Amino acid sequence: MFNSKKSFLYAIVFAAFGFTACESDDPEPENDGEVITDVILNFQELNAAGTPIGAIVSFKASDPQGIEVGSTTTIDNVTLTKGKTYQMKIEVLNSIENEDITKEILEEGDEHQFYFLGTAFVGSNILTYTYADPSGELIGLEGKVVIAQSPGFNNANMRIVLRHDLDKNFPGASNPNFENFVQAGGETDLDVVFPLIVQ
Amino acid sequence: MDIVMRCKLLLPSPLYGDALMEARGENLGESLKRIAGVTTFSTGNTISKPVIHGMHSNRIMILNNGIRLEGQQWGAEHAPEIDPFLADEITVIKGAETVRYGPEAMGGVILVNPAPLFTKKQSLTELNLLGGSNSQMGNIALSHSGGSGKIKGLGYRVQGSAKLGIETYYSFFNTSIGILRDAHTGNLSDLENIIQNGRPFTDGSFTYAIDNPKQVVSHHLAKLKSHYHLNENWKLNAQYGFQLNLREEYDRRRGDLNDKPSLDLQLYTNTLDLFLDHTHNNEFSGTWGVNLIQQANSNIPGTGITPLIPNYDMFNLGFYLLEKYSKGPVELEGGLRFDTRSIRTARYLNNELQQADLNYQNFSAFIGGLFQLSPTLSLSSNLGSAWRPPNVNELFSQGLHHGAAAIEIGDPNLNSEKSFKWVNELEYDFKKLNLTVTGYANQIQNYIYINPTGENVVSLRGTFNVYEYLQATAFFYGFDFAGSYQFTENLSGYAKGSIIRAKNTDDNNYFPFIPSDRMDWGIAYNFGKSASKQANKLTLSNLLVAKQKREPDFDIAAAPPAYALFNLAYQREIHLKGNKLNLGLQVQNLFNTSYKEYMNRFRYFTDDIGRNILLKINYQF
Repeated sequence: MFNSKKSFLYAIVFAAFGFTACESDDPEPENDGEVITDVILNFQELNAAGTPIGAIVSFKASDPQGIEVGSTTTIDNVTLTKGKTYQMKIEVLNSIENEDITKEILEEGDEHQFYFLGTAFVGSNILTYTYADPSGELIGLEGKVVIAQSPGFNNANMRIVLRHDLDKNFPGASNPNFENFVQAGGETDLDVVFPLIVQ
Repeated sequence: MDIVMRCKLLLPSPLYGDALMEARGENLGESLKRIAGVTTFSTGNTISKPVIHGMHSNRIMILNNGIRLEGQQWGAEHAPEIDPFLADEITVIKGAETVRYGPEAMGGVILVNPAPLFTKKQSLTELNLLGGSNSQMGNIALSHSGGSGKIKGLGYRVQGSAKLGIETYYSFFNTSIGILRDAHTGNLSDLENIIQNGRPFTDGSFTYAIDNPKQVVSHHLAKLKSHYHLNENWKLNAQYGFQLNLREEYDRRRGDLNDKPSLDLQLYTNTLDLFLDHTHNNEFSGTWGVNLIQQANSNIPGTGITPLIPNYDMFNLGFYLLEKYSKGPVELEGGLRFDTRSIRTARYLNNELQQADLNYQNFSAFIGGLFQLSPTLSLSSNLGSAWRPPNVNELFSQGLHHGAAAIEIGDPNLNSEKSFKWVNELEYDFKKLNLTVTGYANQIQNYIYINPTGENVVSLRGTFNVYEYLQATAFFYGFDFAGSYQFTENLSGYAKGSIIRAKNTDDNNYFPFIPSDRMDWGIAYNFGKSASKQANKLTLSNLLVAKQKREPDFDIAAAPPAYALFNLAYQREIHLKGNKLNLGLQVQNLFNTSYKEYMNRFRYFTDDIGRNILLKINYQF
């Protein structure tokens, strides 16, 4: 037989025990590893044989706080010379956590692809882009850019979009200037517009 | 429901027996749609939250066998952690029930009750088999009063003496839900592109594997209840509930991060109820009680994303008193409650520790009556106040809502919501006709809602809309009706529907995601003899849903057009040597109509589910 009053008391003691055992953990700062704060375009001239010559010229877009209200982005003007051919290497960085995201993009080359749009690439002959990634995959971390000898106008926009998780076999997806990139699925990791001046 | 006396005043709408059998295999939200006035707020067709009279999430409450379910209810894509397979009866109370159940029960309460436990030596095993054509899904559930491979509920009851009773109960819920890949967008132009397209860009191949984005959720609930009869008229009760909710949400990410959750929460909840019941011969009865809720929420480190909500400790203490008087055709009830709640939060934002201490206090009260006007007609009326403190996400959201292309800004100075709800119900029941009409009005001060600021944030990732949490006075009103008529011995018909209006009376504007007008009607033919209670029934039903014309000024896509769906169901119950076999064959969306539901958040991205043929087998032995 139960001792009625005692059992009732036990139930309350058990409950009280549960209450004291439960407290939230102290918070820990998180390393926001996925935030992209800097995109750097590195241009180096190529000679007729396709060998890089001369100094590397870099242009940067940066957003030091990542995606946040009140943050400001600064984007350099890209200045290139008419009639020349350049090698363009893209670097992607997280300066908050000091991470090089370029490597991660390269490792997941089958899931990432850059598209080159805007008036510099689409509807004009100012810039002509060809993928030239050493792995042979179409990623766009490395490519060849040809500047027209006599472009119709000297100021244009270079819109650079990085897509993640797209279907690379989608018809048209292999074109670096594919305007309907959204149809290949996936999502946008980067969408930056650099002003371009050709001299 | 025995934590407090069952509320008879607001005739509750239960779901049990045949209707519940038909709903087998659906989630809680979908099952509850069968009750007039209850709709769902969903994210795709796997996540759905019940909506009572236009309110959901933290504005309604769900009780699992008497314990208030405490999960991460604040999220639109966070479904209640409860499996309807567990339930023997699900009841919806449409009044404001804060006095009885504590804060947050503003829109109504859902009571999920498992079958009563056997006190004698006896056992029941139930096997459920389920197959569906659309998505080629299958589901097996086995439950035994003792337990099984997939434990749905476990309980034990001891009747020590006539004076004392102890009852224990444990339930475990575990789910892994995949989310439409294309609904996870990188920025505003992604979102706009997919909305314009009206359907996903990728067709997706068929697979059973659940890839990211996905949610993995588990919920433990244990209860210990005991009562002691002090004397003939007074009974002392103690109930303790322990809950642990674990939620992991995975997004598509780069590299190793793809295997790590982007949200990883651990929520402990302790609830303790101590209450005294009294029943007296002079038509009075009542309950006096104290109610404690203690909660601890922790973000498990290592997600690589600044958490959406802070770590917090919450403590809520409530005192309440309920008294009931009944004599002849009249039943009157009233109650008072006082709550005090404190929340301490802590988190790191941009490597700086942020802490907050918040306190909320509130009185709530209700009064109600049931009048048996004639043997066939009854009227019930209930006027109650209720309150809800702001949620942590409403207070502290600060940043990108991943996948939704939205930046959400919380406000730590938000006040508690306070509501007055008046519900009236008229029920007529005479021979062949049964009719219930419910009318209600609910005014809410400081109603919290999320509103687009019209501003954009331009980042290297593209553009994002900015949303902020605001407060305004809201006025909700509407009607529900449900009726059935027995045409002949074999043929019957039913109709039910609901109309809701919800207005922001400060801005003379509408709130988003309020269900549009809808009606469901059908006819059923019973092949069996009328004397036999064994179901052998074919039902043809038609759901009519109007377009939501009362939209707020801003929405990323206009409300979808009206639609009509037809469903066919056959239910058969066979008795085999004392064992019971239930067979169900259902065709949902008979004509494979393509449609979009305003209350589905994925209406922006894709059509709702097409024709689905379901076979349900239930065997009880």
